[in-house]
Order: sequence, then structure tokens, then C-alpha cells
Amino acid sequence: MVDIDGEIIEHMANPKNYGSLDNPDAIGIGENPDNGEKVIIYLDVVESDGESPFIEDIKFQAIGCMTTVVAGSIITGEAKGIDFDTADELIAVTLGMLENVPPESAACSEMVAVALKAAMDTYYEKKNNPDIPALVYKIEQSCMPKEEDKDI
Amino acid sequence: MKELLKNTHEAWLATLMAAFMAKNGETKHILYEFSDILFRHFTWIENDLIKRGVEYDYDRDNIPIKVTHLKIILENISSRMNDIELLSINCDDDALRHRLESDLKYMKERVLRLDDEDVSSAFSVNRKYKDIELGKEATDSLTLFLFEESYKEYELIMIYNYLKAHSSDAFLNRIFQIMIDESFFHLRSFGQMMSDMGILGVPRVLHKSLYKVESVTEFLVNGIEEEESAKEQCKELSDAVAKESPELAEFFDFINYQESYHIELMKEALQHYKMKGTNE
Repeated sequence: MVDIDGEIIEHMANPKNYGSLDNPDAIGIGENPDNGEKVIIYLDVVESDGESPFIEDIKFQAIGCMTTVVAGSIITGEAKGIDFDTADELIAVTLGMLENVPPESAACSEMVAVALKAAMDTYYEKKNNPDIPALVYKIEQSCMPKEEDKDI
Repeated sequence: MKELLKNTHEAWLATLMAAFMAKNGETKHILYEFSDILFRHFTWIENDLIKRGVEYDYDRDNIPIKVTHLKIILENISSRMNDIELLSINCDDDALRHRLESDLKYMKERVLRLDDEDVSSAFSVNRKYKDIELGKEATDSLTLFLFEESYKEYELIMIYNYLKAHSSDAFLNRIFQIMIDESFFHLRSFGQMMSDMGILGVPRVLHKSLYKVESVTEFLVNGIEEEESAKEQCKELSDAVAKESPELAEFFDFINYQESYHIELMKEALQHYKMKGTNE
């Protein structure tokens, strides 16, 4: 189980960036195929010629557990006010850390990271097709402990 | 009218949270009663929207509640009620509008006359429940459980309320109403514990797909699984705290056995849907 301290409680009681945006430039969804849990990311994006798109505002909603809400609060807090190139690095770092995290927490963090990636990819896809629906990326981690880990 | 629904939703939750914070018994009682009245307003406004064929949802803003003194949130609630009173002008149903105005006129003034008290302990994060000594692991389990389940109970109230609002089937509506009443009891129990432990928070906003369900039968099947999982969590929590607090263990066993009845009711509702062959 996650070690709960004052900072985690603050994320649970008052998650940062929770909710939706009225007219987002892009929406992305991360989904856990095992149990149908989802994270939906909404982006407001500003883009200048020749520069990487910039995340001006970001919101998320979670259909999932409290660990997902905490991960969403932390990751969207980091993603707000950075450009897509930096956001790609944030996603890579987040996914890279998952091996050292308990499975239930890893699945939650991965769901937020892939939802952010899906929202950024939706933004790019909308340039060619403005009517494209939100992209949905499924996670690879499982909430469930692996059989061989069960007795540990 | 949609704004009226949203503002009433927010005022209901703000008043319920204030009731959790209050320590004075009479103040707590009045705030609980007012929050119940606001919830009833919410369902009546919703019904009016349905009658008029207006599309609506349960979206709302986040509700800041972290205050040091009750007076601060009471003034906020009174101001919210004032806004609702102004918005109620848009209500075409004369009887409903008069009822809303009359209730709000009384309540917005009554809350301002409630005694002030220090409520900072509701947000102190001391994570101690009454005089019960729990170890770190049991305290963490209890903390996580209360955040998860207080949201879950709010979610269930809203889902069953939405299903009930869109159903004219008396058999099902009886079951939905029981589930709403039961979830209210659980939400009050967990919310009060959160306040006592200094970790009070408003349940997060629901995503539309949770209550605007495409298949009620699928929702019920998943709901039965979730209730079974909730039973398991209650059992685990009861076991985790049993050594340190038989009183808390008994409480979670009590909640656990209530979930068993919910499962049976949901099975009845599922059977009824299947027999009707409809997804109303």
C-alpha cells in the first residue's frame, strides 16, 4: 500500500487540475483494459510558428481509484505550463519509473501518462482531421499482483 | 434552470460538509436538515428539467471548504443560497419557485445566526479517530478507505438518483430509493469520520459516463461486483483495525453486512430489468 503522508492527503482531498475544460483543444483517454478504469485529460494548447505546442491549461477526470487521482494531480501539476517536447520527457520519465512501483500504483500512474500522450497525439491528429474523436490508449501494467508475486 | 441545478448541487454539498465540521450538536443537526432540503430541491429542479425535455448533467465546480471557523463557510453557504434564490426566477413552475424561494429565504438567514466555532481540526491531518490508538499501517488503510468510499457513496447517490429520475417503474424506483438512502447514511458516517480525523474533503466531480449509463443491466452487473469488492474492503479494514480497536472493527462489520443487502437488491433490480427486456 502507498505510504500516506500530508502531501498525499492534500492530493486526495484537493486534487490539482481536477475537472474538465469548456472548449479543450484536445482530449485524450488512458484506459485499463482489465477493469475499465479511465483517465480523461483535457488540454488547452497555445502554438507559435516553429515552436513546440505549449500546454496552457490542463484538467483531468478519473474513473478509478484514489491512487489514480493522486497520480493525476501530481502529473498534471507537472505538465501545466510546459511544451509538448518537455511533456514527452515527463511521460518517458514517469513510464520509466514504473518498474520500481507497486503494481496497483504503477497501473494508475501509467494510465495518467498515456492519457496525456493520447491528448497530445489527438491535438496533432486534429490538424489533419478536426472531427477526430479523442484517442484512447490502453495501459500495459496490471492492477492485479502477478501470480508469482502473490505469496511474497 | 441548468445553472439553478448546478448551484443547488454545490450548496447541498457545501452545507453537508459544514455539518461534518460542526461540533455543536444543534448546529450540526440544523445543517444536516438544511443539506437534506437542498438535496430535495435538487431532485425537484431536475424533475422540472426532465419534464421540459432539457438536457442536463451533474457537472459542478470544485467546492472550497478548508476554513478555520464555521462562520466563514456559513457566510459562503448563505451567499450561495442568495444566488440560488435569484436564479429561481427562471423556474416556470410557480409552486416549485415559491417553495424554493420560501425555503431559501429562511435558511440563508438562519445559517448566519448559528454560533461560530473553531473547525480547523477538520483539516488538521492528525488522523486520529476519537481516543483510538491505531498503528501507521491501520491508519493509512483507514485514511485510504475513507477517501475511496466517501467518493463511492456520493457517486452511488448520484447514479441512483439519475436512474430514478428517468424511470417510471415503481418496483425499480423503490430499490433505487433504498440505495440512495443507504448511501446517504454511509456518506454521513464516513464524512463525519473524515472530519474527526482532520482529513475532510469534498467528493470529486463525477464523469458523465458514470450516471448517463448506456446499459442499466451492465451497470447493475458491475455494481454487484463493486459491492462485493466493497464488502471485501470493509472486511480487510475490520481485520486491520480489529486488534487495536474492536469498536472500529464492529462498525466496519456493520457496514459490511449492509452491503450484503444492497447486493440482493441490485440482483432483484437486475432480474426485473431482464424480465422486462428493456433498458429504460
